[in-house]
Amino acid sequence: MSFFGFDASRHNPAAAGFSQAHNPFAGLASHDDEGDALEFEDTYDGLGDQLDESGDAFNDDTFGDTADLTAGPSGNDFDFFGQTAKVSNAIEEEHVRFNRQAPPAKASQPAPQPSTQAFGQPSASTTPSYGHGSQPSSSKTVRTGYEKYSSEPVGELQVDPALWGVAPKKPSQATPAAAPPPATSSAPPSRKVLSLEEVEAQIRAQAKKAAQSAPSPAPQPAPPPSAPQSQAAPHAQYHIAYQYPHHVQPQLPAQADMSRAQEPSFPPGNGHPVTILQRPQTKPASAPGPPVQQAVQTRQQPSAPVHPTQILQNPNRLSGDAARIGVPQHPTPPIPMPGTYPSHAHHRHQSSFSRQPHIITHPSQLSQLTEEEKAAYLEQEAKRAKRNHKIFLMSRDNGIMTPQDKSFVTRIQLQQLVAATGNPNERGTDESLAEDFYYQVHSQIQGGQRQNPNQPLNNFAQTYLFQTGSRQGGLRRHHRGPENHMQRMEQQVQRAVEAAKNKPKNKQLVIEGSLGKISFSNAKTPKPLLNIKRTESTGEAHRPGSAHKQVSSGVDRKGELRSIERIYTTLMKMEDHDRMMPPPPATDADTDAVQKLAAWGSEAQTLNRKLWDSLRIHDHPDNGGVHPFIALLSYSKGKKAMQRIFRHLTQEQRTTILTLIVVNLDNLDVVRNAQVTSGQIQLNAAMRENVELFSVAVMSTLFNILNELDLDLVAGVLGLVCSRNVDVIAKSRVGASMLTMILSRAEIIKHGGGGSEQAWRSWDLTYTQFFDLIEPTLPHIFPGPVTASDDIYVWQLLAALGIGAGPDQQQRLVIAVKDRVMDTVALSKSLPQDLAAQRLQNVNLFMRSIGLDVELLQ
Amino acid sequence: MLFFSFFKTLIDHEVTVELKNDIRIRGVLKSVDQFLNIKLDNIQVEEELKYPHLSAVKNVFIRGSVVRYVHLPASAVDIPLLEDATRREAANQAGKAK
Repeated sequence: MSFFGFDASRHNPAAAGFSQAHNPFAGLASHDDEGDALEFEDTYDGLGDQLDESGDAFNDDTFGDTADLTAGPSGNDFDFFGQTAKVSNAIEEEHVRFNRQAPPAKASQPAPQPSTQAFGQPSASTTPSYGHGSQPSSSKTVRTGYEKYSSEPVGELQVDPALWGVAPKKPSQATPAAAPPPATSSAPPSRKVLSLEEVEAQIRAQAKKAAQSAPSPAPQPAPPPSAPQSQAAPHAQYHIAYQYPHHVQPQLPAQADMSRAQEPSFPPGNGHPVTILQRPQTKPASAPGPPVQQAVQTRQQPSAPVHPTQILQNPNRLSGDAARIGVPQHPTPPIPMPGTYPSHAHHRHQSSFSRQPHIITHPSQLSQLTEEEKAAYLEQEAKRAKRNHKIFLMSRDNGIMTPQDKSFVTRIQLQQLVAATGNPNERGTDESLAEDFYYQVHSQIQGGQRQNPNQPLNNFAQTYLFQTGSRQGGLRRHHRGPENHMQRMEQQVQRAVEAAKNKPKNKQLVIEGSLGKISFSNAKTPKPLLNIKRTESTGEAHRPGSAHKQVSSGVDRKGELRSIERIYTTLMKMEDHDRMMPPPPATDADTDAVQKLAAWGSEAQTLNRKLWDSLRIHDHPDNGGVHPFIALLSYSKGKKAMQRIFRHLTQEQRTTILTLIVVNLDNLDVVRNAQVTSGQIQLNAAMRENVELFSVAVMSTLFNILNELDLDLVAGVLGLVCSRNVDVIAKSRVGASMLTMILSRAEIIKHGGGGSEQAWRSWDLTYTQFFDLIEPTLPHIFPGPVTASDDIYVWQLLAALGIGAGPDQQQRLVIAVKDRVMDTVALSKSLPQDLAAQRLQNVNLFMRSIGLDVELLQ
Repeated sequence: MLFFSFFKTLIDHEVTVELKNDIRIRGVLKSVDQFLNIKLDNIQVEEELKYPHLSAVKNVFIRGSVVRYVHLPASAVDIPLLEDATRREAANQAGKAK
């Protein structure tokens, strides 16, 4: 059966498919088919032959006592039965322990016990150790940890020897008669099988001990090197073990405890199966007579295990040991050392320092360590002396800086600080104004007191730094002697501050090949989100949108706006320049001041010319369009600029502007596009706003100019008006106001008695001409119907007309506006009191100008 | 720095800060920094019913980046001055860009 025409019969079912695991026996199967037998030689790789059996001799050296060290872990790992048995027999074992019955493995226990006792008894000094050792064995229930270890080893014990060729003899000895051998042959009876944790602990402890043991030699005349000990060189250990008991017992009473504590540990180290079972026994055994052999065996294993074992076994001891480890242990290491390495004095020195603290904690040892102590004290003394010397050396410079110097330095630092944070007073007001213009000026305006922007504003600088600074600047020059260096310092500071300020000039970093720029920012100049590079200062040339680059073309709104901006820029420059006006020279002799003033004046003139040019008064409208200056006035910001512009112009220039405006009066948007009608139609809001703005911004300015003009000029102005479309002018609020201004100015001059005879004659002529021109328009100059209230300006114009008019003209005037007057009076009767009074008052303005009164009409 | 400079003049005026999460908080401007972080005192949340969790809050610090609008008291703004300040700022920026 084949899906795609495969020959199923040729398929080898034994071959592994894609998804099948490789079958190692597939080949065999085929072989079987062929009847071939599987030869061992065919499959054996021969690796086993390469093993060098002879190299095992030093395994113990390399790995430590294999039987000992590895026994524990390996036994634990592979003693499945033991583990299982432990679990299953847990309860049973507990019983056994309670009953102090030796577990099956501990069958040998009874035997060791006697032996330990036997050993322990002989040596009086070791009695404590004996008791200690015996405790575990006799009263195991008390120490759970002990029991656990002792019980575990049992299983392992039997396993271990089998695993390692070395071991077998031991087990045989151990199991049958553990007790006797310890005493005689294998003194180190107490051999404890170590768990992995134990081994680790031992290793750690060994390292620790090694470190400690090295220094320890101090008390002893000849300290042996620590290294050999820790490394468990057989010989060294041997000696140590050998002498250990002797020294311990006779030498140190205090150490007796220690030795005991350590003793138990040593025994476990010994790699003898017999003792493994019973730790207690080992101690007694080691302590007493057969020290030599015991020591040898104990030492066979690196000394390391000793301490850890203790630790594990006796938690209580541990703390004690730990405490002793530092100091008390000295005795122990020394003990072995004398015999073995009498001539290693140098270790002593090394150790001395570290021990010092311990000495203190253990007063009992002080006597022994006095020598060390002395050395240490000397050392410390030397240190102290050295330090004192240093201080002395430094103290020579004491007082090199006076408090003034210090405060000076402090001030320099403060100055830099202020410079970094931006102090408006530091470097003229320009920079600060540039950064913080609105706030500075606004607070000046609001504050009211500070008229002069040059006056310090920054409170911080004022209160702290610049008070002192200015005082310094004032006094120092005259009174202080050592000002020279101070000045130099100040200059340096100045320069430093300058440099610091100029530093962040490069505000951004463009990395080659990167897509963006990295902008540096700080508190003063936050990182700009948009960074548009201007190719040109004016910014108008290469803009794609600005099709009409011709600024002069009146139609070009953008161009006009731009010229207005130029005006403003120039204005601001001029205002800044005004602020920097130097004080007038006290005397002509002060050439410096005179020169400064001259320079300032010329600069001011330059700016003035610039402003004048940007106003484009003398430009001519092309194509009969609106004059560029008048076009500027059609923008609200152009109107607003007028007041400021006029401040910076000469009288002549002002008059020129006035003339220009009057000449173009009917071309003003606020005149031409704000014609009043008799209907209800109101001007739109934008235009009303424009008119309002024009009245406020421009008219008031013009009014001021006009008020300074002489009669002949006023007549000239009126004559100019006459040359224009008076009808249009009069029918706008702005135009009407302008006419009122001109007429009233003439009246004021007349009242003041000014003006020459000739001027008056020309004025009268002009007036007559003007009256003739405006008369037909008069009935139509009122805004809206009579109900419209804001017609006061018309009455003002009429009044101005009436005052200057002759009796004939007055009559014509009255006839022209009679209807409106009558209507208003009639209306006022239906209006509320105050409104009515207002309206009537407006009318009266006119009526009185021609010698009448509204009262007459009522 | 224009806005920083401007807002400094509004300190101790009552402003309404509208956040980008539509919460509008009215309060007395206590301080502002160059990041336009804002401290308000005596705050009152508009549409308090909608944001009851703010009804107990008396003052706030608003991170500048979460502000959508600050409604100004028109009387406290010197418009011509602000215009000039804007011009100066623009000139500064143009100068820096070059």
